[in-house]
Amino acid sequence: MIRLAAAALLLLCAGPAWAQLLDFTEAEQRAILRHGPWPAPWTPDPSNRASGKPEAIEFGERLFFEPRLSPSGKVLCATCHAPYRGWQDGRARAFGLAEVDRNTPSLFNLRHSRWFGWDGAGDSLWAQSIRPILEAREMGGSQARAAALVRGDPEYACRFEKTFGAPPAADEGVLAGIGKALAAFQETIVSGRAPFDDFRDALSRKDFSSMKKYPEAAQRGLRIFVGRGNCSACHFGPAFTNGEFHDTGIPFFIKGGVDAGRHGGLKKLQSNVFNLLGPYNDDSSGASAVKTRQVAAEHRNFGEFKVPSLRNVAQTAPYMHNGSLATLADVVRHYSEINPDRLHSDGESLLKPLRLDAMEIADLVAFLESLSETASALPPRRPAAACR
Amino acid sequence: MEERRANIRRHDGRTLIAAACAAFAGIAHACELPPGTRVESARVAVSYLTIPAQIAVGQPFVLELAACSKQGPLPDRIRLDAHMPEHRHGMNYRATVVPQGAGRFHSEGWLFHMPGRWEFIFDLGSERLTHSVRVE
Repeated sequence: MIRLAAAALLLLCAGPAWAQLLDFTEAEQRAILRHGPWPAPWTPDPSNRASGKPEAIEFGERLFFEPRLSPSGKVLCATCHAPYRGWQDGRARAFGLAEVDRNTPSLFNLRHSRWFGWDGAGDSLWAQSIRPILEAREMGGSQARAAALVRGDPEYACRFEKTFGAPPAADEGVLAGIGKALAAFQETIVSGRAPFDDFRDALSRKDFSSMKKYPEAAQRGLRIFVGRGNCSACHFGPAFTNGEFHDTGIPFFIKGGVDAGRHGGLKKLQSNVFNLLGPYNDDSSGASAVKTRQVAAEHRNFGEFKVPSLRNVAQTAPYMHNGSLATLADVVRHYSEINPDRLHSDGESLLKPLRLDAMEIADLVAFLESLSETASALPPRRPAAACR
Repeated sequence: MEERRANIRRHDGRTLIAAACAAFAGIAHACELPPGTRVESARVAVSYLTIPAQIAVGQPFVLELAACSKQGPLPDRIRLDAHMPEHRHGMNYRATVVPQGAGRFHSEGWLFHMPGRWEFIFDLGSERLTHSVRVE
């Protein structure tokens, strides 16, 4: 009886199984702190006058789930960006009306992006939201069809006018408005806090007891991530992306040719009437268009793809621009064994084979999994009342 | 003829004075510049500041530059750039330089997309000045 009582007392005293705390160096601590705080401050998109407006968000949400934007009546934005799959589709390559060449990116935290799409052909979320509506293999729609839908549907026409202050008129302007409403909705898709955020914030407070709740494997993986793995050079900041483009040694051959990545994206950007240098940018200061005017097209852009955010990354398999890696462990192994000779870059010397052992690979995966939200940060969706 | 000789002498005198001034300027020109980070060589100097003052990774910034020559006129051609020497890559953006007069320049399109050591490059004619900053 006395032994049992002593054992029970011991269990009570022990509490939850706490991890050992790694002795992170000052430099490591600084690097870790750069990945927060989360959530990051939100500001409206100056290029989109609908950004942040409740009526635009409601309008955009309806459009997001609207199959009539596609002539097939069967493909909607949510076909590929399924809310229950981390706002992507779980497929290697997206499939709308036909299979495309790239993996569907998740929609989490897009307000913090500078460029949109794997090739950055979009310089705003609203311009990027127009692209799949018109793309033959995705929704296969047209400017005229989308505009006619909004003009002809009293509910949409009302919502358009409430959002933009004027009824839907010319096709091109209506399509820009559709993109802006879709963007306003997608900007609300923010990932929640993850175990890593609790660890990072505890570190900023020097709250060692709270830090010990973070698993040791994740701590070891984090040390590789900010240290010899050099992962945080590109997966930088609170959103774990520097928002730019890199060649990571993933083959870019596709059926019948090559995927030029950023090189092709810049060409599409320059010829897009909806880019930020065009007439539909609502930012009268011009500041939002500086990136589009100043971006440099370089030979090395060929085969570069956007650095994705790693928040909620465990929810968004498969990985890489072509979905060729099925699991996070596969991704880590890819970087561990990367062949620098295959990198199509002008002397950039960032990626080197890490030669990680099995435990280190598992540790990095544990860290990446710790970037998954513990609770959704999405606002509750209420059925919107009819527009009047 | 006498009048012509006098003109020549007067002209030579002005040339000599100008040459002397230029030589003096070449040796002791203060090359005064507004406050900022000063970078210089034996022939030129620049002073620059960024807006915002603290460069953040992935955040665009503007660069204001003032330049002066310690010997002769300021070169016409000014080119600004930056790169990461250890990574052997530059920016993904091309900064534009707009002369503001009196050796002042306004430059837009700057964005350092990675943490680490970046090196500003200031090309003034054939003269190159560099200055390293660490961005975190």
